[in-house]
Amino acid sequence: MGDTRLYLSLIPQALVASMLNPEEFGYYYATGKQAHTHGEAIFFEVDPDWRSEDFPFHVMTEKCVPGPGGEPKESVYLGIYRVLSRVPVRALGNLYLVTSDGLSLELQRQPHSEAGRDELHLYQEFCPITPMVASRLNPRQFCQFITDTSQPIHVPRIVFSELRLDGLAQDPVQGDAHDLPYHNLQHLRDCLQQIKATHKDTKLVTKQSTEGVMYRMVKGGFYVGDQHDFAYYPYPSLDLLETSHRSWWRSAQAGGSFWR
Amino acid sequence: MLTEPVFWLAPAGVLAGVVFAVLFYRDMLRQDAGSAQMQRIGGHVQRGAMAYLAQQYRIMLLVFLILAALFATLAFGLDVQSRYLPVLFLAGGLFSALAGYVGMQTATRASVRTAAAARYSLAASLRVAFRSGAVMGLAVVSLGLGNVVAWFLFATTFMPAARGEGAGLVLVTTTGLSFGMGASLQALFARVGGGIYTKAADVGADLVGKLERGIPEDDPRNPAVIADNVGDNVGDVAGMGADLFESYCGSLLAAAALGAAAWSQDPAMQLKAIIAPLAIAGLGILLSVCGVFLVTTKEGAGQKQLLSSLSRGINASAALIVLASAGVLHLLGVANAWGLWGAVVAGLVTGMVVGRATEYATSPGYAPTRKVAAQAEGGAATTLIAGLGTGMQSTAIPVLAVAVGTLLAFLCASGFDLNQLNQGLYGVAIAAVGMLSTLGITLASDAYGPIADNAGGNAEMCELGPEVRERTDALDSLGNTTAATGKGFAIGSAALTALALIASYIEVVRLELLRRGETLLTLDGGRSVPLAEASLQDFMAHYNVTLLNPVVLAAMFIGAMAAFVFSGMTIQAVGRAAAAMVEEVRRQFREDPGILRGDSEPDYARCVEISTLGAQREMIAPALLAVMVPVLTGLLLGVAGVIGLLAGGLAAGFVLAVFLSNAGGAWDNAKKYVEEGHHGGKNSRAHQAAVIGDTVGDPLKDTAGPSLNILVKLMSIVAIVMAGVTVGFSLL
Repeated sequence: MGDTRLYLSLIPQALVASMLNPEEFGYYYATGKQAHTHGEAIFFEVDPDWRSEDFPFHVMTEKCVPGPGGEPKESVYLGIYRVLSRVPVRALGNLYLVTSDGLSLELQRQPHSEAGRDELHLYQEFCPITPMVASRLNPRQFCQFITDTSQPIHVPRIVFSELRLDGLAQDPVQGDAHDLPYHNLQHLRDCLQQIKATHKDTKLVTKQSTEGVMYRMVKGGFYVGDQHDFAYYPYPSLDLLETSHRSWWRSAQAGGSFWR
Repeated sequence: MLTEPVFWLAPAGVLAGVVFAVLFYRDMLRQDAGSAQMQRIGGHVQRGAMAYLAQQYRIMLLVFLILAALFATLAFGLDVQSRYLPVLFLAGGLFSALAGYVGMQTATRASVRTAAAARYSLAASLRVAFRSGAVMGLAVVSLGLGNVVAWFLFATTFMPAARGEGAGLVLVTTTGLSFGMGASLQALFARVGGGIYTKAADVGADLVGKLERGIPEDDPRNPAVIADNVGDNVGDVAGMGADLFESYCGSLLAAAALGAAAWSQDPAMQLKAIIAPLAIAGLGILLSVCGVFLVTTKEGAGQKQLLSSLSRGINASAALIVLASAGVLHLLGVANAWGLWGAVVAGLVTGMVVGRATEYATSPGYAPTRKVAAQAEGGAATTLIAGLGTGMQSTAIPVLAVAVGTLLAFLCASGFDLNQLNQGLYGVAIAAVGMLSTLGITLASDAYGPIADNAGGNAEMCELGPEVRERTDALDSLGNTTAATGKGFAIGSAALTALALIASYIEVVRLELLRRGETLLTLDGGRSVPLAEASLQDFMAHYNVTLLNPVVLAAMFIGAMAAFVFSGMTIQAVGRAAAAMVEEVRRQFREDPGILRGDSEPDYARCVEISTLGAQREMIAPALLAVMVPVLTGLLLGVAGVIGLLAGGLAAGFVLAVFLSNAGGAWDNAKKYVEEGHHGGKNSRAHQAAVIGDTVGDPLKDTAGPSLNILVKLMSIVAIVMAGVTVGFSLL
């Protein structure tokens, strides 16, 4: 089984076994076997030795085998419902961001520094739900807050990224928001202002984000966590994206969801 | 003619233009052509461009031979046309096509070398790109002026009629206008066909590649990417070159014809009036060559410095032609030399104002385009409304500039006497010559645009380093500015040239009447004047060319309508040609999944072929409209109707061309402005709206707008060439 890998897909949620390496899997997952479809994907590589009673790993053993011509098996689905909550953060490896034409950007886990200014934040959640939320909490605090089972609104585990707020991070009313791409900026200002003016920690901005992943606006990186664990996947700087990851970055810019 | 020393400036200019075009071409070929992959991609573009030209020239040859046979029948069989018409017509088309061929050969070879030079130096890559653009500029002016000079030398040597002074030279110069007919028809092929080609390829590449498959611009996995790159050359090198070749020749021939007519009673001055535009044009070529050498830059230059490098060359040439033309006119000893010099300056300044006004209306650095971008936040509808409004308002400065320039040129040349119609109209033609005198370098800056653009595409496709792309991006951005200015310049020069051609029309009618044996022109009240001595006012009175004549008014409406219908036909043609391209790109992705993976190379040649065939097929109907309307109007409504038609077509066509080009340019650059990160940047709602605006504007600015330049000139030249048929067979 050395050639079989495990991937935790976030769009949509699924645990998938595959004989493809992450880049090949990303291409396959985004464009399909015949390249007749396309769509963004985000997935974690999962420790191939990790096992759990929650998933039928015997299916992987049985079905994830090369085809008659020796071709690798692209995908064997092991679960498609409440998957994230059943895979612990410690089992998660690198994170892959896949553009709609199948190019992957690999993000590696790194320690998270809490240093930061006292400012407002905007989070885009990817899994298990997909709202945009404004908050006064920093990413780690936000993760703790949203996975706190004592709160009426919580999820067992969450994957999210922080988005740029530019001038609104400091001043929701007067701050410059001219070049922010979010819908209904006045509503965003209202949400941020409410947080600033009251003791509310978070405020729902958009119930369901329809913009896809706004790679251009990602600030800091991607986060996955729960009450016990917290992992940070830093996102490359714009300069690095322009230079070292140019092909991916150009694809990511071209493939916004509104195109579809 | 040969005895006037100043005349020799024209052949000297032609010689210098040819020599430096060859030197620049050879210099470009000596440059490093880059890696094997760069050459492979460059080779695809070059082969695609040549395939397009071969297909276009095959169809052109057929059309030209048919028309030449028709003209030969009219000339030798029915005796209603000059017997030189078929040959001059073929020569005009041949040399315009040759200039286009040279330009395309150079541009497609230069782009890969520009990208290769950008790996090491910005200055070197600018030099390769600009001097390669100069090959096109110098080829156009050298071949254009060379042929006009050759015609005059031939005619004054071998035509018996030309030896007779007065009417003889009028006959030679007006017959020379037939050369413009060939150039004009070839320009129609290049501009309309090129416009349809480039947008069909562009839309096909974007709709399937970007929108359906999510792959970025200039991605080698896109089957239409090479056709798109070829399209840049087809539109902005071959199309623009043929358009300006026609304007250049048309302005020279019209100036010579009007000069010969204005001083038909003064043989010495008549000769000088013919030589003056040729000498100014020759001088312009020499100064354009000087200007090319001034375009240099230093490493790490910013956008502003690059623009100032380019402006240095163009402005220096323009400033020098202002000074030198004064000397030439005085040396030649023409009457009212300062007045004619004023007309030259009026033309030059008008060209610059129109160019700058276009840049102001369409550049993201100025308010109009930024306002369109801001309206994108409101959605597609507000973006479209803003672009339409901006485009309409943008017509004010260019139209006023041409109006003021025309009036000034007329007044300067006529000694501020409105009754001196002949001299005044000669001044208008001289203004067109002045505007186009430095075409060698202004066209170089136009042809430079697609070279830099293709170099950027090559750098992207070959994944060259960030510092290389930074350099090619800087050159490309400069090319966008020059493209906008060039479009405005082409429209302005077309308007002035068409005006000069309309003025020449009456002279052709006079000759036709003389040739038919008429001696008197009857006027109101039974008065008559000798035909050979009749003034332009007499002709207007004879044919009742007044706004109160319903025939003139009706024909004006028809002319205005023709401009709109022609534009509509070209825009619709883009849609149909693009649909075939979309289907082909979809087919290739569908049948070969390896294309998207990058495992197999798309069939680029098939996309080039589809765009080429689509362009040739779709241009037939607009071309027929442009040629048939003046002929039918002449047959049905006579000379007065033709003048009304040309006036209406020019007035509506000129303003419509400015509107279409600037609205499209504003939408295009508003999208680029949003993509820079303003109003939400890429993939925002504002971007979505801006993309819709850009897509709507594409066929407007790159197909319909530029094609109208040809329409206004072609209708005039067809009317001139078919004057014999109009005079002989008109119902009215």
